[in-house]
Amino acid sequence: MKNVRIWFKKDKECRFISHLDLNRVMLRTVFRAKLPIWYTEGFNPHPFITFPLPLSLGVRGEAECMDVRFLDEDFDLSKVAEIMNPFLPDGIRVYDATECKMKPGDIAFAKFTAKIYSDAMSVDELKTQLCQLMKLDEYLVPKKTKSGIKDVNISEYLKLIEILPGCDALNISVTLPAGSANNVNVQLLIKALESYVASDVYYDITRLGVFNKEMKPFE
Amino acid sequence: MYPKEVEKILLKVQKPGKYTGGELNAVIKNKDEVDLRFAFCFPDTYEVGMSHLGMKILYSLFNSVPYIWCERVFAPWIDMEEQMLKHNIPLYALESGDALSEFDFIGFTLQYELSYTNVLNMLKMGNVPVLSKERTELKNIVVAGGACASNPEPLADFIDIFFIGEGEEVDLEVMELFRECRKNGESKQDFLIKASQIEGVYVPALYDVEYNEDGTIKAFTPKFGAPEKVHKRIVMDMDNAFFPESFVVPNVEIVHDRAVSEIFRGCIRGCRFCQAGFMNRPVREKSIDTISEQCYKLCKNTGYDEVSLTSLSSSDYSQIVPLLTKLNEWTNEEKISLSLPSLRVDGFTDDIMSKIKTVRKSGLTFAPEAGTQRLRDAINKNVHEDELLETCATAFNGGWTNIKLYFMTGLPTETDEDLEGIANLGQAVVNTFYRCENRAKGRGVNVTCSASPFIPKPFTPFQWEAQDDIDEIKRKQMVVKNAIKTKKITFNYHDAATTFLEGVFARGDRKLCAVMLKACEKGFHFDGWSDCFSIDKWLEIFDECGIEPTFYTSRKRSFDEILPWDFIDYGVNKSFLKSECLKAYESATTPNCREKCSACGAAKYKGGVCYEKCKNMV
Repeated sequence: MKNVRIWFKKDKECRFISHLDLNRVMLRTVFRAKLPIWYTEGFNPHPFITFPLPLSLGVRGEAECMDVRFLDEDFDLSKVAEIMNPFLPDGIRVYDATECKMKPGDIAFAKFTAKIYSDAMSVDELKTQLCQLMKLDEYLVPKKTKSGIKDVNISEYLKLIEILPGCDALNISVTLPAGSANNVNVQLLIKALESYVASDVYYDITRLGVFNKEMKPFE
Repeated sequence: MYPKEVEKILLKVQKPGKYTGGELNAVIKNKDEVDLRFAFCFPDTYEVGMSHLGMKILYSLFNSVPYIWCERVFAPWIDMEEQMLKHNIPLYALESGDALSEFDFIGFTLQYELSYTNVLNMLKMGNVPVLSKERTELKNIVVAGGACASNPEPLADFIDIFFIGEGEEVDLEVMELFRECRKNGESKQDFLIKASQIEGVYVPALYDVEYNEDGTIKAFTPKFGAPEKVHKRIVMDMDNAFFPESFVVPNVEIVHDRAVSEIFRGCIRGCRFCQAGFMNRPVREKSIDTISEQCYKLCKNTGYDEVSLTSLSSSDYSQIVPLLTKLNEWTNEEKISLSLPSLRVDGFTDDIMSKIKTVRKSGLTFAPEAGTQRLRDAINKNVHEDELLETCATAFNGGWTNIKLYFMTGLPTETDEDLEGIANLGQAVVNTFYRCENRAKGRGVNVTCSASPFIPKPFTPFQWEAQDDIDEIKRKQMVVKNAIKTKKITFNYHDAATTFLEGVFARGDRKLCAVMLKACEKGFHFDGWSDCFSIDKWLEIFDECGIEPTFYTSRKRSFDEILPWDFIDYGVNKSFLKSECLKAYESATTPNCREKCSACGAAKYKGGVCYEKCKNMV
């Protein structure tokens, strides 16, 4: 048995499906593509798949991955993409399959870009507001946790934002802590801006990739 | 695909994946290369509509015609509707993202009366005038079919064409006619008059209705050569009938997320409350080979690991065990599980049980419908208590611990004793569990009894009967509830007020169109969902329109009254329905179609179960 990491992009219509739904799509696909995958041996046998770092609904993923176990250790991994893609919706494209070199627990950071815009104000105004917000030493936003909704201070993460050039939208880039221990949801930053400017803000986020604590790309 | 403006609101709503399209097997064509665009609308949410087999069949069928592009449209849930209104986004189809108003045909499937307000609301959201007479050009032809087309009258002012019976053939004939009429530059009126000549087509605008002083119908008169009787269309050769090889596979979870194969249409039983059992006569089966091949292709093309073998009563398939054996030949190896919904109490055998649970154990549901033998005989359910208990014992010994039982309250001739019978039957099932030696050890039993208030439906022997009013429904629910003495029985019952409204529209006439229009103006939608339904607001509208809703529900009709749906012929004679109704009063049963033909009239279709015996004799 061999652990295999399957790499894919999640984009177009498919960025609007939740992690649970993505899981179902992938289960159906590996089932139908007849990949030599290990099935769980419980009461309801199903292909065993895990996702090292799930992606939030609405976010595009440039380099997403899921882990499976191949029964056939000699299986040609370069074939996986062409076997799976015909069975996937257009918005999900597999582009590679590799051996798992790092553990999911090694993930420490994720890098995002986002386009932000608003009907109520121009890009420049939005930019000015964001700069002001980034200077604050405390900014509380409500965060859903297991024990209910809590206010958390996210000013240290707001300061990580880098403003990129662009005129049709406010373009930003940010690298945030990620992984099972400390994960910061990028949408929290945008929600902060939304509450700061007190009007509807629309956004389009892409996760470019995930990294270990030395900022080496996860592989 | 979704329109560009939609993108920004998608993250403001729940489950945005319902509004984006882009699923596997969705059909994308070039709109400049097709002659006719059809918007197939399901007047409920994506999760409900995507589970509907009829839509899957017609979607694939229409798209198999090169000149037609059929797309899907669902009712956006209230959060999405609010966002769409706020941003001025019209209702759009999921394949092209184009607004409803761009389509040549806008087709609705009518599966339950409480979705009627969604039909009108969807038209309104798509910028299509809701009244048929306000759509004057030969475009945006609004058509409807499905079970509720059996009484089209409450929607007569809104729908241009109703399809009566099974849609596979008649829909395409009407679209072909449309294509021709448009080529020749004919008017909408010309098209409708020509369409009315096609069998299975009802054009409500071509009929005049006169009323008596008491509100009943005096005369129902066709104009412009429209037929006096509209005959249903029916597919007789199920093996050669169109069936899709693939389904659109949703990216988000839907209600019935599995492959579905229809094993037969119709039902041999003739339960007197059941509309489907009379409307879909005669029973027509698919052969084992056809079913097996269709299931195999579907699983291959969708990736589903579960197949549901559907019909009105799956254990009545004449060769059910050979069918399951044949399917098991490949399903076990492919790790695909089979499910058999709609099992009859007397049809659940060890043999069937062992073949459907090989991979996965699903829940078990039976429908005794009534609590006592006398009432079960009156409704012609023909199920005996000892059969039910024996079946439950089979299930318990096979490891099941959850059983659901469906009942109805308010059936004709019912007494409180019959209601208490529901609790007694539930108790008897609980007792049976503890008598089973091979029952699952260390686990208790749970019997769920669900009771729905009975609504008399057109084309059934009870179409003349009165329906219980809201207070009586509630009283009866309490009678059952109070008779239940154990916590091992869970009692569920249906909301009385929605039942009342459903009853009004089920047997309503054209006068209700005014009520529907007002409801649409006031923004009513999703009446089938408790989030939205308000009986008080409905009563207000009835009042404003000067209509007494109990005229349609609480009134027992005489056998010679002209009923609003009398002009439709579903193959079963009215005289047969009447004799069945009279037999119900005597608690006399009628044998099923396989035991003995009762000459209902459906033999005129020259096939199906009516001719099974002849075939065997040859």
